[in-house]
Amino acid sequence: MTTTDISPSRFLAQGNVYLPHIVVIEKIIEETPGVRTLHFNFKDEKLRKEFTFQSGQFAQYSVFGIGEAPFCISSSPTRHDHLEFAVQRVGRVTNALHRLGVGAELGFRGPYGNSFPLDFLQGKNLVFVGGGIGLAPLRSLIWNVIDNRDRYEKIDIVYGARTPADLCFKYDLEAWGKDKTVKFVTTVDRGEASWTGKVGVVPKILEEAAPSAKNAVAIVCGPPIMIRFTFPVLEKLGFTPEQMLTTLEKRMKCGIGKCGRCNIGNIYVCRDGPVFSYAQIKSFVSSEY
Amino acid sequence: MEQRLRQEARTLLEQGKVDWIIGFEPGSLKFTTTPLITKDKSDVQRLVINPFIVNNLAKFLIEIKGRVGIVAKGCDSRSIVSLIQDNKVIREDVVILAVPCTGVIDLSKVERLMGKDRDELDDITREGDKVIVKVDGEKREFPAPEALFDHCLACEFPTPQEYDILLGEPSSPIANPVAKEKIEKLKQMTPEQRWGFWKDELSRCIRCYACRNVCPACFCQRCFVEETEPQWALPVPRWQDNLIFQIVRNIHVAGRCTDCGECERACPAHIPLRSLTREMYDIVDELFHFKSGMDKEALPLMTHYEQEEAEDLFR
Amino acid sequence: MSNKKVSKKDITKLLSQWSQQFTVLVPSKESGVAEMAEWDGKDTSFLDWYRNTVVPPKASFLPPMEEMFHFQKDKEGYRIELPPNEHKQLIFSIRPCDARALAIIDANFKDLYQDPYYLSKRKSAVLVGLGCTNPSQSCFCTSLGISPAESTDVDLMLTDIGDQFLVEEITDKGKELIAKTSGLKEATKDDETKAKEAKEAASQRITRKINTEGIIDKLLASFDDKDYWEKIAAKCISCGVCTLLCPTCYCFDINDELVRQEGTRFRSLDSCSFPVYTKMPMENPRQEKWRRVRQKVCHKFGFFPMSFNVIACTGCGRCIRLCPVNWDITQTLASLPVKAEVGK
Repeated sequence: MTTTDISPSRFLAQGNVYLPHIVVIEKIIEETPGVRTLHFNFKDEKLRKEFTFQSGQFAQYSVFGIGEAPFCISSSPTRHDHLEFAVQRVGRVTNALHRLGVGAELGFRGPYGNSFPLDFLQGKNLVFVGGGIGLAPLRSLIWNVIDNRDRYEKIDIVYGARTPADLCFKYDLEAWGKDKTVKFVTTVDRGEASWTGKVGVVPKILEEAAPSAKNAVAIVCGPPIMIRFTFPVLEKLGFTPEQMLTTLEKRMKCGIGKCGRCNIGNIYVCRDGPVFSYAQIKSFVSSEY
Repeated sequence: MEQRLRQEARTLLEQGKVDWIIGFEPGSLKFTTTPLITKDKSDVQRLVINPFIVNNLAKFLIEIKGRVGIVAKGCDSRSIVSLIQDNKVIREDVVILAVPCTGVIDLSKVERLMGKDRDELDDITREGDKVIVKVDGEKREFPAPEALFDHCLACEFPTPQEYDILLGEPSSPIANPVAKEKIEKLKQMTPEQRWGFWKDELSRCIRCYACRNVCPACFCQRCFVEETEPQWALPVPRWQDNLIFQIVRNIHVAGRCTDCGECERACPAHIPLRSLTREMYDIVDELFHFKSGMDKEALPLMTHYEQEEAEDLFR
Repeated sequence: MSNKKVSKKDITKLLSQWSQQFTVLVPSKESGVAEMAEWDGKDTSFLDWYRNTVVPPKASFLPPMEEMFHFQKDKEGYRIELPPNEHKQLIFSIRPCDARALAIIDANFKDLYQDPYYLSKRKSAVLVGLGCTNPSQSCFCTSLGISPAESTDVDLMLTDIGDQFLVEEITDKGKELIAKTSGLKEATKDDETKAKEAKEAASQRITRKINTEGIIDKLLASFDDKDYWEKIAAKCISCGVCTLLCPTCYCFDINDELVRQEGTRFRSLDSCSFPVYTKMPMENPRQEKWRRVRQKVCHKFGFFPMSFNVIACTGCGRCIRLCPVNWDITQTLASLPVKAEVGK
């Protein structure tokens, strides 16, 4: 059901699947105190023109000498003058990424993983549910969809973060708020004096918004706890497990299904995911994934 | 001793005095034992005491929740006391079933003496001060010290000093000088030679962490070698990183190591780790007049110091 | 086509010839641990002591530590350089279990993306197998469809027939090698008979057995049985001995090192037994030991065969022999709950 556009021989550096391409940081947006978005481009001209990917796919980004880490490509494939990814400062590699400036060089291996199934989404009402930095993979898909607006029906977006300061991609939120073809609501867990929007956890606000499950698909990305409380809400609203999509996260190293660590049963999140439907998740070897 | 042990263990479980029994049962290979960790009183029939009870079971106290009846040789009981000093174990939560130890047989030594692999030997027994090996109907005898682990030969307290139930007659130290031969040889070397020696030895370390994981003195939830911010050593088995791991580990366990010898025994690459740990043990004794795991009321060595120590140390 | 034979006294001459084209690796204890190491040009005493190495021959293809590439920063930015190509290897006297193990893990390194480091070594290597005469009490290869004395996963197969080895050509690569090798004689019918007897005797000597029938279903059925797995995992100490020294384990880690403006990306063997193996900043799906022990067993006898139709174990017994607490996978497999609740 999920499209798997994996052409292993595409975009290999020196024919070696572990060798990164060199990319250069062109712009940095500090989204929140702990999250930044990096705009980058390939150093190689040819690659810059030829590189393509699909929404939902990720790449392995290297800070040479520090390490490599996986992040989804958060820009949309419909806008290819540059690429983007968002990174939250939590460990060694991410801290290093937060110390870099414009002009710094990174390694890039990808695109890896499967992608959001555009064929399946076409002609349907789409409900996007995002939390915190979980908006990163979603926004690639949202802009992809908006750029091909006539292929899809209604668009509902529910996005939230812990506090107003934690809201990511504020420029997107502004744009979607103004888009008349999109129904959009932002919420925070805890408000503050200057916050005039909704207050409440994302699952609760989703329940209030009560989007119809008829001919609809819900795409949910955010912290695991948000996802765990969102699925039951969607089920209550009448969504079947096949109508709920999400992305899973695991510790990854190779990103190509070889090093063994991101497995759930006999599937690898890096190769068979990261996009999964709730129906697929339910069929995993264990209820704890 | 075995019968008494099984009886005591059963009674402890039946009377609800402990939740768990930790001891030894026969292993799945000849001349081995394996830890038995059970809540079930019908399992105690499998408990054994023989010359192959090599593990330091104190290690399991770190993880197991509840009250435990635990089989302990001299070195093991000191590890338990060391854990009590560090507040990782509450004295009232353990019932120490003490085994007065006469030494554990080192299969590698027997293999070398016999010139045969352990699979080809029919029987190995300890009788008094002899170790008897039977193969193909023939019997060969060796003086026990030739077949026991070096750390057993160096052991100062083979009978547990801290215990609840003593399962047999106290035993005496063997005190065989062979025990420290390797360490003495190292002490004769120049610093460059010693560095070369350890560089060589640690080149074959595969970073399995068996040494760390069998050791009751290592109870950190997250070992320093697993930290990435900062990264003290790469998780790559280069001799440089391996050396950092061993040196720092030894410093971390100083005052806690009881020279049970498990690190060296567990190492699949036969690295003479005891040459580091035992020397640390002796240095601790010499500098601080402190023997690990003797007094359950004592504070762990490295967590405090007395004014008088400074006189000796900071010359 | 008849087989050849070579006298044990002539092994030095044989290996010398092969050393012209290959880096010849033989069992050696020189480093302090029994492993396949570069032949020193004269010593064949391993013929006396060799049963199996501690470090499996997989280390010649998936080394404990490997340089993936170097990177260097100059004023134009980063440059990446691959390490130089390595010399072709010839592994002399690899056991059938270890040779099968390589064939098994090939599947992982070929699947979807080709792993250049492992596969290039595999492609250029020649494997000369040696059948077992004296299997260990920890061996259980026969339960996994592997013979201790025969192998189709090697290029040449040697069988000990007294003071000679029978030499069988298994692959074209083996055939080509023999065609260029002198010092071999034609094997007689008597030799062939002796070899056949030796092979049968070796198989008879395997005493440890496991039952792999329906193992995948049994494991999946027991997957959510926390009590069972906690009991099984109780004495495991979560070190990496079993996995790092297992010939069919291939999990690896990738780490960088930087010294001023240049550095290296390393690949090193890793273990699913380590708690940090799956650790993420906010959570660790296998924090508890029983989950890791369950993962190891279920991967080898469940998930891997689900994907590649072959159990990721060759019964070499290293894990049983070397485990510091004598945790025994054959005991675990034999004790799987027969009537377990199907998970979920």
